[in-house]
Amino acid sequence: MIQRLHVTLLDVEGALQRLLGTAERRGFHVLQLHAEVGAGDLCRVALTLEGVRDAMLLRRQLERLHEVREVSLATE
Amino acid sequence: MADTGGVEASVRSGAQWLVAALEAAGVDTIFGYPGGAIMPVYDALVDSRLRHILVRHEQGAALAADGYARAGGRIGVCLATSGPGATNLLTGIANAYLDSVPMLAITGQVASGLMGTDAFQEVDIFGMSLPVVKHSFIVRRAEDVAATVREACTIARSGRPGPVLIDLPKDVQLARAAAQPGPTAVAAAAVPAPDRDALGAARALLARSERPLLYVGGGVGMARAESALRDFVAVTGMPSVCTLKGLGAIDPDAPEHLGMLGMHGSPAANHAVQSCDLLLVVGARFDDRATGKLDTFAPGARVIHIDADMAEIGKLRSAQIALAGSIPLVLAALSQALPIESWREHCAALRALYANRYDAPGADIYAPALLRELSLAAGDQAIVSCDVGQHQMWVAQHWHIRAPHAHLSSGGLGAMGYGLPAALGAQLARPDACVVCVSGDGSIMMNIQELATLRRYAIPVKIVLLDNGCLGMVRQWQELFFEQRYSEVDLSDNPDFVALAQAFGIEAFGIDARAQVPGAIRRLLDARGPILCHVRIDPRANVWPLVPPGKSNGEMMDGAA
Repeated sequence: MIQRLHVTLLDVEGALQRLLGTAERRGFHVLQLHAEVGAGDLCRVALTLEGVRDAMLLRRQLERLHEVREVSLATE
Repeated sequence: MADTGGVEASVRSGAQWLVAALEAAGVDTIFGYPGGAIMPVYDALVDSRLRHILVRHEQGAALAADGYARAGGRIGVCLATSGPGATNLLTGIANAYLDSVPMLAITGQVASGLMGTDAFQEVDIFGMSLPVVKHSFIVRRAEDVAATVREACTIARSGRPGPVLIDLPKDVQLARAAAQPGPTAVAAAAVPAPDRDALGAARALLARSERPLLYVGGGVGMARAESALRDFVAVTGMPSVCTLKGLGAIDPDAPEHLGMLGMHGSPAANHAVQSCDLLLVVGARFDDRATGKLDTFAPGARVIHIDADMAEIGKLRSAQIALAGSIPLVLAALSQALPIESWREHCAALRALYANRYDAPGADIYAPALLRELSLAAGDQAIVSCDVGQHQMWVAQHWHIRAPHAHLSSGGLGAMGYGLPAALGAQLARPDACVVCVSGDGSIMMNIQELATLRRYAIPVKIVLLDNGCLGMVRQWQELFFEQRYSEVDLSDNPDFVALAQAFGIEAFGIDARAQVPGAIRRLLDARGPILCHVRIDPRANVWPLVPPGKSNGEMMDGAA
């Protein structure tokens, strides 16, 4: 199943690595990525993922990362 | 004036700021090993009131910090140099991650200008540790050191605890900085308030249930919620089972407590799980060692799942009702008398039917009986730290564990070599306690060097070394599931462990007959310093019962029956 996530996270060292690593370790393949640093040291990331596991669970796993501020999920 | 978080403002080196920030955070003990890239910090330690414990391998430092944190209810701190020092910490960091132990791991790093050049003793420990830390930092400026320590300590302790890594380049340790910036706004992972509607639904489901069962995990001990749980049990009268890490959360003598469930769990616990109609899961995560074949686990049960970490709810088994929040608050809100007398009687009968027996025939030392007798003799304040393998399961099954923090076990990672360093850390955190390390001949060799640490600091850990001359758990699986094709499990050429311990300056003695057990227990408990008792046991002894891999918990094997 293809999942699209929008993640807002602090633009701190390793933030993107941590985000992508978590998604991959939890069983999702990254198909597409767009990241942009904006105001207030925030980075907005749009991710398109493929995986058979529950994307809501991935959302919660991403939300508990220290630098992550917001995760929203849309299933295609 | 900048808020310095309790650290006196002045011009100091980054290393001095690190030490001062640790002191200000209430840290009093750190475990470590010096090396090139962390030398400025070791220089700063000379003038510090921090107690540094020099271990003999960095893995020992991380695992000792783990034991210190678990037994003492405080953050554990370990320190190592760059490169191999940092990589040697990794097993201990992963252990803390999988068992949710608050830990601060501090590593030296090559100077900033050399990072990324494959410099001597350079590894990307930040990148290597990403999957096994709750969070991590590379500190780029001396001005940021103290704030980073404060933030790291907060993250490690808050919400679901875990390890945090701080990587500190050598030039940052040496650079001088004036007043430190105020604390970064730390968004501590707040434990959410439980949902009121879900609480109401859970109360109603509980009231309707005829065969409710508590499934208790390590989250209870982490939340220091054991007294709330025991209050809940007193009011509801609910029977209970627990995971390896949940041991001690409930009074082991409670008549409706059925002990540990899962692969080496008690038949009473596994049968009760399979026949209950409601599982009230408290701080547990449906680990595969606990559930066996997941789709046959508790087949007739609805699930109410309580956890401080929302990401654990529904991860492996969906819950009819999810209650993310403070465990004591949720339990108090659910507490009500339940009309389940016949179910309670059934569970008490299961407990009696499957009670452990210690009357094994023969004159050889029966490890379960030895452990039971030692635990009862050691008393209420004893802490047991075990390694990984058959003896770990015997401890879980037979040690009389009265509190979650009295049982230190590498539950998630299953790291052989955990027991001895964790025990020394626990003893330093709880100098009043009787700390027993139960190890095996395979496991103890993985961190045998820490006998030198026991000796150096006269740490009075009592080591029970169960020696079957083989890697017992692997041998057992090869016997049962690999057609007795034994492969690389023979350790019959082990060193003379008594002589080895004595060479480290540790009092040691050996026993090999059942009649020697009472005297050995007395000698262990009477010892004032570190002591090792080498126990020769039957290499053919197996751990029973056993749920075969891939099978349901209802399909236990029991070779002892």
